Amino acid sequence: MRKLLVLLLSIGLLCLVFTPVSWGGKNVIKIGINAPLTGDIPKVGEGTKYAAEMWLEDINKEGGLKVGDKVYKVELVIEDNESKAESAVKANTKLITEDEVLVIVGPQASKQAIPAGEVANNYKTPMISPWSTNPATTKDRPYVFRGCFLDPFQGPVIANFVTKEFGFKKAAVLYDVASDYPKGLAEFFKKAWEDLHGPGSVVAFESFTTKDADFSSQLTKIIKSGAEFLFTPQYYNEVALIVQQAHELGWNKPIVGSDSWGSAELIKLCGKDCYGLFFSTHYASAGAKGKTKEFIDRYKKKYGYVPDDVAALTWDSLGIVKTAIQNCGKITGNIEKDRQCVRDAMAKIKEYKGITGDMTFTEDGDPIKCAVIVKISDKGEFEFYKSVCP
Amino acid sequence: MEANSSKKKGRISRVRHWCSKHFSDVPLLSWLIGAPVAAVLEDFVGTPLALGLGLPKVPVLFGFVLMLKKPLLIPSILIYMILIYILPVVVTAKLTAPLFNRLASKLLNVSGRLSVVIHLLLLYAGLHLWSSISAYRLLTLKLTLIAVMVTLSLNVINGYMGEFSCSHPGFMALGAYGASVFTVLLFVNDKIFGPAHLPAYLAPYMFPIALILGGCLASLGALAIAIPSFRTRGDYLAIISLAFMFIVKSMIENLEVVGGPRGLSSQPDLAALPIVFIWAVLCIWITNNFVRSTMGKALNAVRDNELAADAMTVNTRRTKIIAFLFGAFWAGVAGGLFAHVLRYVNPGTFGIQKLAEVLAMVYFGGLNSVYGSILGAVSLSLLSEMLRPLEMLKWIIIPLLLILLMIFRPTGLISFKEFDVIKLIQPRNNSREKS
Repeated sequence: MRKLLVLLLSIGLLCLVFTPVSWGGKNVIKIGINAPLTGDIPKVGEGTKYAAEMWLEDINKEGGLKVGDKVYKVELVIEDNESKAESAVKANTKLITEDEVLVIVGPQASKQAIPAGEVANNYKTPMISPWSTNPATTKDRPYVFRGCFLDPFQGPVIANFVTKEFGFKKAAVLYDVASDYPKGLAEFFKKAWEDLHGPGSVVAFESFTTKDADFSSQLTKIIKSGAEFLFTPQYYNEVALIVQQAHELGWNKPIVGSDSWGSAELIKLCGKDCYGLFFSTHYASAGAKGKTKEFIDRYKKKYGYVPDDVAALTWDSLGIVKTAIQNCGKITGNIEKDRQCVRDAMAKIKEYKGITGDMTFTEDGDPIKCAVIVKISDKGEFEFYKSVCP
Repeated sequence: MEANSSKKKGRISRVRHWCSKHFSDVPLLSWLIGAPVAAVLEDFVGTPLALGLGLPKVPVLFGFVLMLKKPLLIPSILIYMILIYILPVVVTAKLTAPLFNRLASKLLNVSGRLSVVIHLLLLYAGLHLWSSISAYRLLTLKLTLIAVMVTLSLNVINGYMGEFSCSHPGFMALGAYGASVFTVLLFVNDKIFGPAHLPAYLAPYMFPIALILGGCLASLGALAIAIPSFRTRGDYLAIISLAFMFIVKSMIENLEVVGGPRGLSSQPDLAALPIVFIWAVLCIWITNNFVRSTMGKALNAVRDNELAADAMTVNTRRTKIIAFLFGAFWAGVAGGLFAHVLRYVNPGTFGIQKLAEVLAMVYFGGLNSVYGSILGAVSLSLLSEMLRPLEMLKWIIIPLLLILLMIFRPTGLISFKEFDVIKLIQPRNNSREKS
């Protein structure tokens, strides 16, 4: 017993000697990442994490982040929010008060970003959610920003695109009533379409509930309604089922989607059924040029698959964070002052050139940026088709 | 090998013996006075000590998160824990034991209730000081207290009544939305409900009404399940209650008035720590009295043999309904608090995942026991918070723990044990002193 005690104590002392004393010194900038690494959407969390790690690699290659005339080391603090609202709030509170991060990137989904944004705003910590499209995330919160366009913008973009491209007059919509993103977008689209073609032009507005796998009754109604195309703002796993079932039921008209389609998984699940379809999104991976291509190639080489829009948006959000810190000009070491400074610098960013387009923030912290219409090619690649700007 | 294990066993029992020899005469009052002492100590010397030991900050949840992230720091954290928590609490408890034993017996002679209140005040002081150091601790503590309430209310149905009910997230959702709609409608300028109807300074006084309203709404929901499921038991009730949970979730998702799937936000900030603490204590106290009353015994009788209970003049139908409504009420109150701690609710929160969490807490802690519910809720809440840095591994470790527990202690850690408050706060004099 005594021998064991002596051994343990000596090991303990040795460890103490070797611990670096200068933990969290003044020359470190901490950036918090609040991502759903486990839970419903782990793929989203993975994309966020990978993009963040790639970004950090770049910073480290330069030897650190240069602010003013001093170079700072950057540390990422990645917290898992389990895809739950309360965990996102806990994670944000921890990042702000315990880890004392300068800026938070995330959470991705609106159901976590809304309550987490409240925490960030209360503690006056700048937060940028790359992927949350719900207006409530940034509304009346001067410290909360986002990296993507909003649903009230995307709805009209799709309506205008279909009108101009195909000249259709009758639309059908199929959406998940229990999930906030598809529901919101479906409603914005309906409004935009009816503004263009008059009331009653959305001839079928059908809904289902999360985790439904059989859409035949809704699709039969849609086919009978005489609609000229189907708009379905669903996630990739549901899109595959909807498209395949529609084709089995004899639907051969176009199906149009939204940015939630933009995952590499879509083609794996959907196969040939999805070829030739259109959707609106943040960026197109196939045929990308310049910085965007560079990012995609690096990501693909490192992790083995083409990055989703989440990864690209996270990358851009981190880029905005970097620019804001650099524009701030000086890190004082007083975290409250620095956070204020970064927030002000972020709000002032004009035409940030990101891989998902140019961004300028409005007063609400929402970016003004272009949407991209993507066509799924015959090889199953997401090809750039058209860019729609506000 | 065998000799070795028996030696080990001997060592454990020796430690246990040593502990019981030295600490059996320490009353609860002394332990409770130790908590604020440790917290004050941490407040004053925590930061310099932590920095001196090479820690980046005061370890927030007993340093567990830090241990997982930087294993090299484990010895420093252990030293910190011993110096700040264990040593002060043990020393204070031991030193004050003789004095506080006398004090405790005097207090008990004056009034049992007063004594309980003093104990609770000390407990609160300890928690308040401990949580005042970091906002993250405060949030975790609030959510843990709420988890205790939910777990206990489910234990009334699943443990004491012996039914398997799956509708607790549904009750929580009803309570959360009931209370939120009440407070948002009255006190917040909101785009859904229009301008505030009452001045904001009234909000703290009306908050209990909001919570009770939420609880009653949940009870009403419980009545809706209880009536059609009179004749069913076991699996059938589980299915009906599961269906109820989904009905509530879909209903809220389709109710545009409360925000649908986008959720309801901008609740006023009313759920401060004292409020949550008071409600949690109320819940434990009332539930404990309920399960120890004739009604509680009738519940046990129904669980063990419904026919026999009926023959012994227990009105089984009434008993079951009351227990169901009782459990639902407290789940509703907990839901209301939950909504006001997060200041946002969405129907997606109250799904299968929440159900699994609450069920795990009930069965981990122990059936048919208030101790067990408190222990289960606290340990699983803290554990899931502490293991978060492990990401995916966490979801292997916690279920594994549950499986192991079910093998070695099939009814949970502390099951079928009465929570006797008076016995708990009694002075711990040794027998010879008594005589």
